[in-house]
Amino acid sequence: MNFLTIFARNLKQGPQTEAFPLGPAFTPDRLRGRIEFKAESCEGCRICERVCPANAIRFAKTPDGMTFDCWHNTCVFCGNCEFYCPTDAIHQTNDWDLSHVNADKFDMVEHGLIPNQTCVDCGATALNTAPMVKNAKPPLSTEEVAEVRARCPKCRAKYLKNRKVPA
Amino acid sequence: MGLIPNFKNIATRSPWIYRINAGSCNGCDVEMATTALIPRYDIERLGCQYCGSPKHADIVLISGPLTVRVKDAVLRMYEEIPDPKVTVAVGVCPISGGIFRESYAVLAPIDQYIPIDVNVPGCPPRPQAIIAGVAKAIAIWRERL
Repeated sequence: MNFLTIFARNLKQGPQTEAFPLGPAFTPDRLRGRIEFKAESCEGCRICERVCPANAIRFAKTPDGMTFDCWHNTCVFCGNCEFYCPTDAIHQTNDWDLSHVNADKFDMVEHGLIPNQTCVDCGATALNTAPMVKNAKPPLSTEEVAEVRARCPKCRAKYLKNRKVPA
Repeated sequence: MGLIPNFKNIATRSPWIYRINAGSCNGCDVEMATTALIPRYDIERLGCQYCGSPKHADIVLISGPLTVRVKDAVLRMYEEIPDPKVTVAVGVCPISGGIFRESYAVLAPIDQYIPIDVNVPGCPPRPQAIIAGVAKAIAIWRERL
C-alpha cells in the first residue's frame, strides 16, 4: 500500500521540478555569487588582491586614484576577499545569473575607484581611503572618522597620536 | 514548398546537447549532468537532450581550460559537429582559465581556438545558470538555423 501514499503525496505536492526558465528560481540568501565592491568603505589595504586564488582582483594606480577591478569571468566565488576584508567593502551578492554572450566577455567586471584627495593639514595628495581605526580606543565618533579621512596617512597617524583620550 | 517552413519549425523545437570535457576538474561536468538528468532542473522542458555522438549535436557545452594534451582531440571532435552549431563555455576555466590561468599546461581562453557564443561563468555555475546559458544558446541557434 506504500505506493498509494506516494501517489497521493505526489498528487498533492505536484512535480519537484524547479520553475526556473519559465518562472523565478529559488536562490538562498547566502549563496556565494557575484562580487560587489563599495569604494567608499575600502581601506586600500589590498588584502583581497593577495588572497584571491584566481587573481581576479586587480588594483592599479592611476592619476585619479586607485582603481579596483574584479573580473567575474575569473572569480571562482570562494569568498576569501569578503572573509579577509576588514571593512566589509567587498561582499558577495547572491546574484548567480552571469551568463552572457561572448561579445560582452570583457564587460563582466566590477569596477571601483578610490579617488585622490588633498590632505587638509599638509596639502599632500593621498588616497581618500576609509581610515583604519577599528582598534582605536575609545572608538572614534563619526565626526572624528570624517576628520581622519580628510588627511594623508602621515597626518592621520599624527592626528590619532595627538587625540585627547579621557583617562 | 509549404512543407519546408513547417519542417523548420518542428526542427527548431529540440536542440540536442553535446558535452566536451576539455580537461575539466569534473565540477562543471557534474553540474551539467545535474542540469540535464535529474527531474529537479529538467532541461528537457526546453527541448534539449544529451546525445552520445557529436554528429547529432546542435549545442555544444565545453568545460575545462583546454589542456595541451586534449587540444587536438577537442578540435577534432568540434569539427565533427554539423553546422549550425552553438558553443557554450561552462565555468570560468574555458572563458579565462580561472585558477589554472597562466599555467604551461593550459591553453585557456578557449575562444582562441574555438568560436564561443555564450559564456556561463562560475566555479562551477549553478544548474540554473547553465539553464540560463542554454536558453541564450537556443535563441542564437534559432537565428542561425
